[in-house]
Amino acid sequence: LRYLFEPLICGSLKMVLVLALGDLHVPHRAADLPPKFKAMLVPGKIQHIICTGNLCIKEIHDYLKTICPDLHIVRGEFDEDARYPETKTLTIGQFKLGLCHGHQVIPWGDLDSLAMLQRQLGVDILVTGHTHQFTAYKHELGVVINPGSATGAYSSINQDVNPSFVLMDIDGLRAVVYVYELIDGEVKVDKIEFKPPYQQLCSLVHLIKT
Amino acid sequence: MATATTVNIKLSRSNRIYRSSEPVEGKIVITSATSISHQAIRLSVNGSVNLQVRGGSAGVIESFYGVIKPIQIVKKTIEVRSSGKIASGTTEIPFSFNLREPGESIVEKFYETFHGTNINIQYLLTAEIPRGYLHKPLSATVEFIIESGRVDLPERPIPPELVIFYITQDTQRHPLLPEIKTGGFRVTGKLATQCSLQDPLSGELTVEASSVPISSIDIHLLRVESIIVGERIVTETSLIQSTQIADGDVCRNMTLPIYVLLPRLLMCPSVFAGPFSVEFKVCLTISFKSKLAKAQPKSDPTAPRLWMALERLPLELVRTKRDQFSC
Amino acid sequence: MEFEFRRRDYGATIDSQLLPRSQAHKHPLSSTLVSRQQQAKTVRGSEIDFFDPLRGLDVNASAEEEVEDTSISTEAATQDLIKEWKLLKRILMQRFPISFFLWVITGHKARKIISLTSVEAPSVLSHSEETGSEQISLEETAKIMNQQEYMAKVHELRDGITCAWQAEDRVTSLKLSIKVTKLLMDTTVLQFYPTVFVIVTDMLDMLGDMVWERIKQKAELDIDGTVICSLLMISVLKQERLAITGFAKLPLSIIIFIILPTFLCLSFGLSLYAHSYLELAILPCWRFLINQPMEVLDRLLMMVRGLADPLASLYCRLYMVHRMQKFGFCNSGYLIKCIKDIEDVLAPILVDKEGYSYITDDKKLFFSLIEPAIEYIMKCLFLTGRQEKNVLGMLEELGFGRKKLHSSYNPSHMSILLHYLLKELPSELVSSLAMEILDMIKCSNDCSFSQVLNYKLLGTRLSEGKSQDGFLSSLINEVIQAASQYQSLYDYLRIIDAYVDLTLQNKMENHLDALLDDIVRLSCDKFLTEEEQASLQSIILKLLSHFENLQEVLSLNHFIEILDLMSGTSKSSVNMHLLNMGTRNGCISDSTTVQLLFEVSQALYDATDFVTIKDDDNRQTSHLISRFVEMVDYGAEMERHLMFLAECREAFNGIHELKETLVRSSNTLAVKALKAGKKHINFVKSCLAFSEVTIPSVSTPTKHLNLYLETAEVALLGGLISHSDGLVMSAVEYLENVAGTDGLRSIDVDSMASVVCKLCSLLVMVPGNPEKDVMEILQSIFSATCSSSWAMQRLKVKLFCAIISLSSTLSQDNLPYHCANPEIIGNDLLFFGDSSYKQELVSFTQLVLGELLNAIEKESSQIVRGNLALEACNCISSALVMNEKVSQVCLRLLETAKGCLGANDRYMESTKKYLQL
Repeated sequence: LRYLFEPLICGSLKMVLVLALGDLHVPHRAADLPPKFKAMLVPGKIQHIICTGNLCIKEIHDYLKTICPDLHIVRGEFDEDARYPETKTLTIGQFKLGLCHGHQVIPWGDLDSLAMLQRQLGVDILVTGHTHQFTAYKHELGVVINPGSATGAYSSINQDVNPSFVLMDIDGLRAVVYVYELIDGEVKVDKIEFKPPYQQLCSLVHLIKT
Repeated sequence: MATATTVNIKLSRSNRIYRSSEPVEGKIVITSATSISHQAIRLSVNGSVNLQVRGGSAGVIESFYGVIKPIQIVKKTIEVRSSGKIASGTTEIPFSFNLREPGESIVEKFYETFHGTNINIQYLLTAEIPRGYLHKPLSATVEFIIESGRVDLPERPIPPELVIFYITQDTQRHPLLPEIKTGGFRVTGKLATQCSLQDPLSGELTVEASSVPISSIDIHLLRVESIIVGERIVTETSLIQSTQIADGDVCRNMTLPIYVLLPRLLMCPSVFAGPFSVEFKVCLTISFKSKLAKAQPKSDPTAPRLWMALERLPLELVRTKRDQFSC
Repeated sequence: MEFEFRRRDYGATIDSQLLPRSQAHKHPLSSTLVSRQQQAKTVRGSEIDFFDPLRGLDVNASAEEEVEDTSISTEAATQDLIKEWKLLKRILMQRFPISFFLWVITGHKARKIISLTSVEAPSVLSHSEETGSEQISLEETAKIMNQQEYMAKVHELRDGITCAWQAEDRVTSLKLSIKVTKLLMDTTVLQFYPTVFVIVTDMLDMLGDMVWERIKQKAELDIDGTVICSLLMISVLKQERLAITGFAKLPLSIIIFIILPTFLCLSFGLSLYAHSYLELAILPCWRFLINQPMEVLDRLLMMVRGLADPLASLYCRLYMVHRMQKFGFCNSGYLIKCIKDIEDVLAPILVDKEGYSYITDDKKLFFSLIEPAIEYIMKCLFLTGRQEKNVLGMLEELGFGRKKLHSSYNPSHMSILLHYLLKELPSELVSSLAMEILDMIKCSNDCSFSQVLNYKLLGTRLSEGKSQDGFLSSLINEVIQAASQYQSLYDYLRIIDAYVDLTLQNKMENHLDALLDDIVRLSCDKFLTEEEQASLQSIILKLLSHFENLQEVLSLNHFIEILDLMSGTSKSSVNMHLLNMGTRNGCISDSTTVQLLFEVSQALYDATDFVTIKDDDNRQTSHLISRFVEMVDYGAEMERHLMFLAECREAFNGIHELKETLVRSSNTLAVKALKAGKKHINFVKSCLAFSEVTIPSVSTPTKHLNLYLETAEVALLGGLISHSDGLVMSAVEYLENVAGTDGLRSIDVDSMASVVCKLCSLLVMVPGNPEKDVMEILQSIFSATCSSSWAMQRLKVKLFCAIISLSSTLSQDNLPYHCANPEIIGNDLLFFGDSSYKQELVSFTQLVLGELLNAIEKESSQIVRGNLALEACNCISSALVMNEKVSQVCLRLLETAKGCLGANDRYMESTKKYLQL
């Protein structure tokens, strides 16, 4: 199947990089993004930014805009800007992405509760934050990702946090998630690969056939 | 219906200008609803200088009014069609005739067309269609314009004969206001005193000094018509054009242009014929600011006044060759 | 059948569903990619030595572009000038508006206008008749026209001209135009002039265009247009007789239109004004006659000199330049002559008979009136100069660069001309001629334009272009010297303002010091006027924006002194910038800086009325102050930091935004202290106390609640259960009392609900107090939700779901998370094996479920109700074991959803799938 359709699909779909990050808590819990992260996040590489909120000040918003103007933010409980929505969905490539900060989820970070939210939003990839801990789960509907805190800000369940963010390389039917984590002053990069759920693949095939 | 019948003379040139050496050509156009029988159709040309003294400028001259006889320049008649019948509709009868008889050499007598105050030089062309005693003869008259047909006209450009003039309080022959007299002024300039009819009168003028502010500087063009009436010469001077070249107290030592387009209608080449002459003059006036000037109603702008300085210069107008051939 | 909570093994879920991670050696942001790019760059760099055809082309292309840039095409230039002309007209009308103009029309002015506009008979009027009519009009009684009347007259005239023209009665239309030009003769009230000028020239332009069009039409009809033209010219000259008797009936000849107006003016002895303006209006038509109309232009240029009134002659020249440009023969030679003439005209005005050059109100007005005209002429000059690619030659004509050759030559220009010359000078020439211009400015100290502004303009122009360091230092030195000679702070500041940027960019510290010294010396402690304040503000802002760091600014000579000179709004503005600058570079730890900024903030705070006025400015001020407080970091001196916060609370009591900042800062401080070790526990307590006291004054309910929660979290981190209990209780109590509206604005209900959800999640790790009723808090939340005035049905549903989820979580044997402080024991251990605890949770859930179903039914919107039903269904099935009773409830909810959303809803499908129905 892939052999048949991949050229078709890939020809029409461009590879896109999506930066996911959140819970910066600037300036209270952290002064700024780690310099090593800032050095990596150069303008022009990234096509979309999705941010799980708690930036908290406008300067960070402006900084993110300089990396990439296509910026999507949901509202954390400490955000200055009251105009951010509570949840947001967007489509990138063949994937439908959902965004929510996560302090509203009970209990925080619980996979079942997140799956509920994912059903509600009807998305393939749900990105949430608040726990300040990178996680990536899959379940029957898709993937749930938490990029952690980009500045390593403390949380009540996690006092020593490693700064981390996530970069998604979405290329047609495939997505690779890169995790950037600052551990002891060094940036460690891991990757996670996944495909869209089978069901969606079928609908895509149907689409191409017609 | 006699009223429906019209006769027109159409000249070959729309501007109706001919030289005395050229044949005058054209056609007689007759438009009629019915056919007309006629006697011989004749065309006559009549050129004359009419001299008269108009207006009450000189009471003595009025008594001479009847005495001045028009000077005949040309008068001849030709037959363009012998008697016959003209069909209904539009009929065109072409004609062509010479003003001069072959061999006639005195071209000078064909003065250029001119309409002045006292002197009128006019050429008329009349077509006559006599229709017996029962009907009124049909006729049409048209004026055509004669320009000099001389062959010895100067080439253009004529060498500019520039006259340099100075106007100061001392050159004035009439009394001036004391402040003007004592304060003094000096205006210099130059002007071409020989000028082709076709070219503008040109020159320049500079106010070098003036203690009293100037209110206006004007150039007046004067025409002097003289007629010999018996033993006397009657002269009529008329102002034919005024041009302002400065309005207000102009900057000192700044050259101002004198540029006057000559109104052809009111002018002609300077003529010195036996019984009459037409000459031209330029009168430069400098009016100073003065309360008197405002109080006085304006009449003749070239008359000497207490607040004005004057300079009169002769102007010879000539016809040039280029002018002639370009037509 | 009883409800039973679904058992959850959080750890196992995580393990089973975690996506596998593997180390990535290559990733999109990896430095290998970067280095590859860099490699590419270096490779490119080395290629420069080789011949590269593409690169060569590139260079050529860019060179070509530059050439194009400097030489503007004629068309573009004309377009530019047309735009400029329109702009100029607008400026003239705006600066000297009609309404003002009409105020001044009184007495004989109005009469004159009426007399001019009322003449409509196309009969030939002799000179004497003309004056006669004017005299009659002078005897009329005074009338004042209002604006409508005047505009009506203008339109009437305008229409008269067009109508006559269209009716082929060209003589009348020309005669009307001549009358129009007469309006321009009157300069007795100077303020009129620009407006009248615009009105009249509009009409003349219109006439000129009509003539042009007509001739063009004619010329196009004839095959060899030009030959016929020159022929016809003569014939026209010979037919003037007919012209008098019936011009309009003549076979139309082209030249008529060129000769006629002049002829009309001349033969009727009309004024030079009418003559000049009319000839200028039809000037472009000469194109049909001659190719190089030098004579015509020369003559016109000189003819205008005959207009002695300076204002009238200047505006006439303005019109001439405008028409010449339309003519397409606007060469710089004429323009330079024109400018020189202007100089000659203006010279006598500058100097009195006694040789003094001082400014009077009349002169001031006069110069303000001619400014736009001069600016336009200068613009034309440089545009044509650039077109001819001879700007330098042009400047030489104007007296530049001659000084070196003839030491006796006095290069001084009238300052008003110099000003506009400098304004239009191409910037590359500004820097190369800077010294010479400076000398000129020094020499030209007349009343036509302020020398100070000329100095200033030089500075501004120099900062525009790329400046060369070589001469700048000595130039600025001279300027500073010249400026300080004014002995007036305002003049000094105005001049220096333009040079500050240059000084800063070229790192000329000594000049900077000198000018700061001068400012202090000239101000000599007196009170600064508003204008001085504004200039000083501009200078200080330039300094501030140049330096990166506040420290550098503060270390400048006299900076604080100069700062103290300021007052009022400019001080506030400078203060804002100072604060902004202080807070933009991360933490502020230097105590003197903190002190300075604190004072600055205080000054700002005192200058602003926070209580009664709420506008954007205030918001910005409060925002900046809050940011400053946030950014202060005393490092290890935590006690001092807390004291600072307390000081701020006192000093800036009126800023609501700041309260939140204070609480968050104190919380952050507490966490910092906790990280530093156990010994700080008392300090942590003081921080918590500070927060607890401050929170009640936070006005926004959401923030209020939120801050309670954060402080409680911090207390938990510190292991201070009693504090956290108290804070959670305060939060719940506050929740019970929240009203639907906070004063005037309604609260943000969605985020309020989110915060309540957060509270539920927080409760997972707050140990219950065994001495009290464990369920008390849950019940309080529940009852607060039920009775709340702000929560709409959909939010109630959301909150009830949250309570059910929480109950389910609390009933687990192992909680999903615990407090980060190991001293705090979770409820799972605290109530391990306590069946009554679980029983209470179950019965409580039952209660909540009932309310939940009720709330769904009450929702009025169908789509919302359907979605709420699905949400509840998801929540219930996730929290409870799917026994008969539960599945009944779920089926009912699904039924509701189906009724509302239809069977094909995506959310419904996924829910059904989840329920395995």
